Amino acid sequence: MNVWPLKFREMSDGSVLFSDDAGEFFKSSHGFLDRYATDNLSPADETFLKEGNHGFDKEFDLRWTSFAYRWARRQSRPTRMNYVILVPTLRCNLACGYCQVSRAPETARGFDWSPETLAGVLSFLDSLEGPDIKIEFQGGEPLLRVDILEAVRDFCREKFSQCQFVVCTNLQRLDTREWAFLDADDTVISTSLDGDRVTHERQRTHGSEVTGAFFRNLEAAVSRYPKGKISALPTVDVDNPPDFEALLDNYERYGVRSVYLRPINHQGFARKIQQGDNVLARWNRLHCEFIDLLIARNRRTGRFMEEYYFSQCLKRVLRLNADNHVDIRNPNFFASDYVVIDHDGRFYPTDEARMLSRIGRIDLSIGDVGTGIDRAKVDVLNSGALNHFDPDCIHCAYQPFCGTDVIDDISRYGRIDVPRPDTWFCGRHLSLFDKVFELLYRNDEPTRASLAAWLGVAGCTGDLAPVHP
Amino acid sequence: MIPLRIKVEANADQPFVVRLRSFEFAVGEQSTEQMNPFEVALERVGPEGADYVGEGGPIRILGIDPSKVDGDVLLVNPRRGTADRLIRSASQHNTFLVTERCDQVCLMCSQPPKNHHVDLFPHFETAALLAPEGATIGISGGEPTLFKTQLFRFLERVLLARPDLSFHVLTNGQHFDLDDWEAMSRIDRGRVVWGIPLYSCDPAVHDEIVGKTGAHAQLLENLALMCRLGAQVELRTVLMRPNADWLPLLARFIISTLPFIRTWAVMQMENIGFGRMNWKTLFYDSSEGFDVVSRSIDLVRSRGIDAWLYNFPLCTVPEPYRHLAPATISDWKRAYREECDGCSLKARCGGFFEWHPANHGYSNLGAIQ
Ligand code: SF4
Ligand code: SF4
Repeated sequence: MNVWPLKFREMSDGSVLFSDDAGEFFKSSHGFLDRYATDNLSPADETFLKEGNHGFDKEFDLRWTSFAYRWARRQSRPTRMNYVILVPTLRCNLACGYCQVSRAPETARGFDWSPETLAGVLSFLDSLEGPDIKIEFQGGEPLLRVDILEAVRDFCREKFSQCQFVVCTNLQRLDTREWAFLDADDTVISTSLDGDRVTHERQRTHGSEVTGAFFRNLEAAVSRYPKGKISALPTVDVDNPPDFEALLDNYERYGVRSVYLRPINHQGFARKIQQGDNVLARWNRLHCEFIDLLIARNRRTGRFMEEYYFSQCLKRVLRLNADNHVDIRNPNFFASDYVVIDHDGRFYPTDEARMLSRIGRIDLSIGDVGTGIDRAKVDVLNSGALNHFDPDCIHCAYQPFCGTDVIDDISRYGRIDVPRPDTWFCGRHLSLFDKVFELLYRNDEPTRASLAAWLGVAGCTGDLAPVHP
Repeated sequence: MIPLRIKVEANADQPFVVRLRSFEFAVGEQSTEQMNPFEVALERVGPEGADYVGEGGPIRILGIDPSKVDGDVLLVNPRRGTADRLIRSASQHNTFLVTERCDQVCLMCSQPPKNHHVDLFPHFETAALLAPEGATIGISGGEPTLFKTQLFRFLERVLLARPDLSFHVLTNGQHFDLDDWEAMSRIDRGRVVWGIPLYSCDPAVHDEIVGKTGAHAQLLENLALMCRLGAQVELRTVLMRPNADWLPLLARFIISTLPFIRTWAVMQMENIGFGRMNWKTLFYDSSEGFDVVSRSIDLVRSRGIDAWLYNFPLCTVPEPYRHLAPATISDWKRAYREECDGCSLKARCGGFFEWHPANHGYSNLGAIQ
């Protein structure tokens, strides 16, 4: 039998995790590692590797074919553009501490789409090949321009047979017209809820009246709409994290069972000054604690909640084609299936690229609605958007599951060729996948119950994570 | 039970295919020229039967209400005075039986092979072209790929002519070959699902069940070919005493070595044919020993591969798994039992095969309130 190359990583319990390029994995010992490295596999080793499909006898046989299939299915393929993020205005009626760069005051002028920009956006949408489209309205506070939202939605409903609209709103001020917009069945709400009331007020609303208005509207929306219509995200300050139990209680109270924990994303200067050293290590620790807290809480309440991105990473490890989230796509080609259009009609590959350009550090715009997407510039970005040939990733046991984030690298380091292990992206993902495998190899009931819930199955057993003694 | 064969009188020598129109063209208001040449329209209903006319010549249907056969496609055998309802327009379960020959003799075969064979592909092609919009047609046997040249050509032609149709082909997977590459590539792979049985990851256990040495090895080789062709495979495992304990290992084999299958179906046995003869030694009471099933299904589903339970009465399945047990027993084979009276799940339960014995073998069964 020919054994496919194995990559390995020591686990916290001293055993060794192995994975092949197609993402099959198992846990074993240093003893096995020695035998593997010195080409001294025992018959038991060979049998185990065969059962896990880590080798083949001849080209095109079933084992060879399955491996090729699995490898191919783990690659992300560029697809049809069907997801457009629109920023019809930069103006906002809140001034959240960490949002300086991506907003303008409510009364400012020149931060909204002009009629020409709107026309350009519509003709861009018109050029897309259907049947489906997802539009995400961002801002600023997009509902300040509910008239533009209506125009876009009407247009899409005419042009595409399946549409979904997401309004990313602070739910601060809703009148009849805004409610009417949100009422439609094809429209869902995404909002920010930073945890308990105190944290939310500290980070966002800054005054009890404003806070009150937000919670009143949130409650009204929750009672008005079916489950699943509203999603919410907390932004977490590493130095001053919310009480996680209270945060989860609050989310559950509003019917949101999936929580996407995100660190405050300071840009440029603010990042260095406000966060100090070791942010990464502190964030990773916080995130791991949150996962363990979730498991204990799920056990206690019997009502299962999840951390959104962790569940994505878990599925990415176990499944083929589980790369809905762009950060774990590989290759992660830009302006392929989604794109951002800013308040001035410029295209950006991601929202972070838009903000980064706004602070004047680099121009990451890739054309505008007048001239179209600048493919030459996209190609330059794409050249760094895969991990297959990265000198560090090729040795990493998590390479088949991991992705890349060129924009984040530029944002943090001003370049894309920083050694992987020195990047925030790598540090985050090493920690995330360490946690995924730690849980997969735990055998306590609470962990297994949560894993099953996150994977959408009735139960989990040790079968899920192979071990070779 | 829904009859699949009905009595007819027709004035012809050779078998022919015809579609019945029981309503639209009634009472001769419209001229028969507007009909498909393979159609006949109901002219008159009387005590002696229902008379249809059209280019296919007059035929008379006996013993069934014309409204029940409206839109049905029949293969009429005039000499025998019978017609097979190849396509019942009201049903999701239409299957063409290609042959009764087979090269395997599975312990639980519901339709034991017979040597006699008549090639009906030309009739099947005519019938398929008359199928209702969007239908999925089953192809079964015996072993259909014993006549693979005709089968591949049939699939290719029908799928080309009717972009709305799809097929589900039951095959033992023994006869595909690299030489079929051309012919199979011409078949629209998105619209054919190949239902292929694999009973165990252990060659000896599988070969024993299908009664053919080397079947397992041949099957695995051909599954690789199916993967390379991008064919959609529904892997089918009938759960029985000889393979039940192996099920979790089979699940492991599927995730490691058969990740390309589209679905895995774990199936309960059918008590007919050899299945009836060998019932006592084969039937596995999954209402008692469901853990091998749940473990296996969970594992495969965790890894993102679809897995389902076919032919399981819902009350024999623990609640968390019931949504994975669709009502798969075809309408014309389906029956409920005394125990089912007042069961709240009846509407979505497939019940039992008509011929399931009174002493059903499930130790936990009965109406769910
Ligand atoms: S970025 Fe880091 S964690 Fe991801 S594959 Fe590369 S080395 Fe591994
Ligand atoms: S009692 Fe009958 S209808 Fe009810 S679940 Fe059981 S088999 Fe199905």
